[in-house]
Amino acid sequence: MNLILKKDQLNHLLDAWRKDYEVYAPQSLQNYTHFLPLQDGFELAFDKAHNTRIPPKALFLPTSEALLKFTKFGGYEKVPLETAPRIIFGIRPCDAHAMTMLDTVFEQERYTDPHWQARRDATVLVGLGCHVPCHIGFCTTVGSGPFNHAGLDAILTDLGEIFLVETLTEKGERLFTQLETASEEQSIQASKLQQDAAASMPIAFETEGLKEKLDQNFDSPYWEEVSRSCLGCGVCTFLCPTCFCFDIVDEAQRGERVRNWDTCMFRTYSLEASGHNPRPSRVERTRQRLNHKYSYWVDQINQIGCTGCGRCVRYCPVGLDIRAMLRKAHQLPSEVAHV
Amino acid sequence: MSNEARSPYLPIPMHVLHAYYESTDRSLKTLELSFDDPQDAREFFAAFNPGQFCLLSVIGKGESALGVASAAWEGDFVRFTAQKLGSVTNALHELKPGDPIGMRGPLGNGFPLEDWKGKDLVIIGGGCAFSTLYALTKHLHHPSNRGDYGKLTVIYGTRTSGLCMYKQDIAAWHQRDDMEVHQAIDVPEQDWLHHVGYVPDVVKEVSPSPVNSVAVVCGPPIMTKFTLPALVELGFTPETIFTSLEKRMKCGVGKCGRCNLGPKYICKDGPVFSLAELNALPADL
Repeated sequence: MNLILKKDQLNHLLDAWRKDYEVYAPQSLQNYTHFLPLQDGFELAFDKAHNTRIPPKALFLPTSEALLKFTKFGGYEKVPLETAPRIIFGIRPCDAHAMTMLDTVFEQERYTDPHWQARRDATVLVGLGCHVPCHIGFCTTVGSGPFNHAGLDAILTDLGEIFLVETLTEKGERLFTQLETASEEQSIQASKLQQDAAASMPIAFETEGLKEKLDQNFDSPYWEEVSRSCLGCGVCTFLCPTCFCFDIVDEAQRGERVRNWDTCMFRTYSLEASGHNPRPSRVERTRQRLNHKYSYWVDQINQIGCTGCGRCVRYCPVGLDIRAMLRKAHQLPSEVAHV
Repeated sequence: MSNEARSPYLPIPMHVLHAYYESTDRSLKTLELSFDDPQDAREFFAAFNPGQFCLLSVIGKGESALGVASAAWEGDFVRFTAQKLGSVTNALHELKPGDPIGMRGPLGNGFPLEDWKGKDLVIIGGGCAFSTLYALTKHLHHPSNRGDYGKLTVIYGTRTSGLCMYKQDIAAWHQRDDMEVHQAIDVPEQDWLHHVGYVPDVVKEVSPSPVNSVAVVCGPPIMTKFTLPALVELGFTPETIFTSLEKRMKCGVGKCGRCNLGPKYICKDGPVFSLAELNALPADL
């Protein structure tokens, strides 16, 4: 159902939600925008049409979290799961879409991650569509879009003085019971805005046949070329909304077994106890990152594992641009697959 | 446990039943672990299949992935052999009977024993990677399983005789009439009565028949690399050659990311793969 939320009533609504939920929304902190819990006298910072620096996956898979607590004499106990109800307000469609991909990793039938699932079940995602798409993002290229619904419980469209609210799930409906229904004109206006926003985004690279090119060029000198200027800092993966790799370490002094974000761009990621490393240089590690997103995810869930948020391009310290890398990959020869 | 599903990160509480050195140089130690809670034992053995592995936890040190080296019929314990290599395996070597230890598992697919029924089995191992093949051989030895399979041939090579694992059992295997055992060491030693040479060469020398046969290879990468083509040369098809892979692992349940081979995770989709499956995956080992 389409509803109308007047912008001057937004803060009032957010305050009302805060009675029952912890409400996260984009706010400024130290030069960047972050999803932070709203406090009294909050100031929102979602007027810029782009994402927070750290993707909201961090609210589900924290950068560091305890999996076990140690007790005396070599014992251990479970860590209580977080189940307090939350709303994430103002999440962009690319980031919400990424959550559905991560669900396929953390909510597999055989091994469900209880920490992930508890937080997902307790959270409502209220999206804000991008009526002015960011210029680095390429969501439409990879099968997402500035008003994509995937993963969202409701989505807002900015119509100037008002937001048009589309509720997409029951969880979303429950949040917007007090609002008046949108007129047909307003719905049409929003729908046109949504289509225009998507249409205004250029196609960043050709995805048709891209997986095959990558598969056929596993041993190509291309990987040496595109990884040459990489510093191996890992920012492209840490800030990626679909990257999920983690490390598990025992922090003896804290008395906890902890999982921390990890990255395939680090040498120690795949280094084995014997000293052997299947990915000894940035060449193999860059190949792993791109192939995972553009080939392996496709094998696993028939979707590209990238939602085009553009963070890896925006924050790379040496200006490596995945769009350019993939345009180049598409020019590679089609060869017989390696053996 | 309550009806809440166990977290895949929460180890099963175990304690050390037996701990003894497996090799004369004391680099390999075997631990036999038993369950603190009999319910955990029932659940473990209901799910267990030879070829699977577990993550052993020394609290405060971390976890290490090790193949299970025992068959279910041996009793309510689980056997592992750890090579002393990193901080966790060093800690494992310090453990004494009665010490607590955590275990997650069984993990991975294990050997496709159902598919192998009615076939001859050629089991080829090298070094400490023989542990899961030992579990497989023990499993096959049980009277209720042995009849399901044809001829059984075991080829096992180590660098020296002192590094050979499970020595007493293997010595007894030579006396059995329902299997053929070929042991090998890399360089000659006094009083050594078996093969001398590298495993791929011993495989060629023994020359097992590929007819209605399955070959299982577990060993260090260099051994596997040369043994697989030797088997192909003998006439084994890629669909009848199996190997068990290893990579660095953390979660063991297909989430932490690092053990992938293309779109497959060794922990969750493996560790056992046929050569046909491996041929379709990128060479990222």
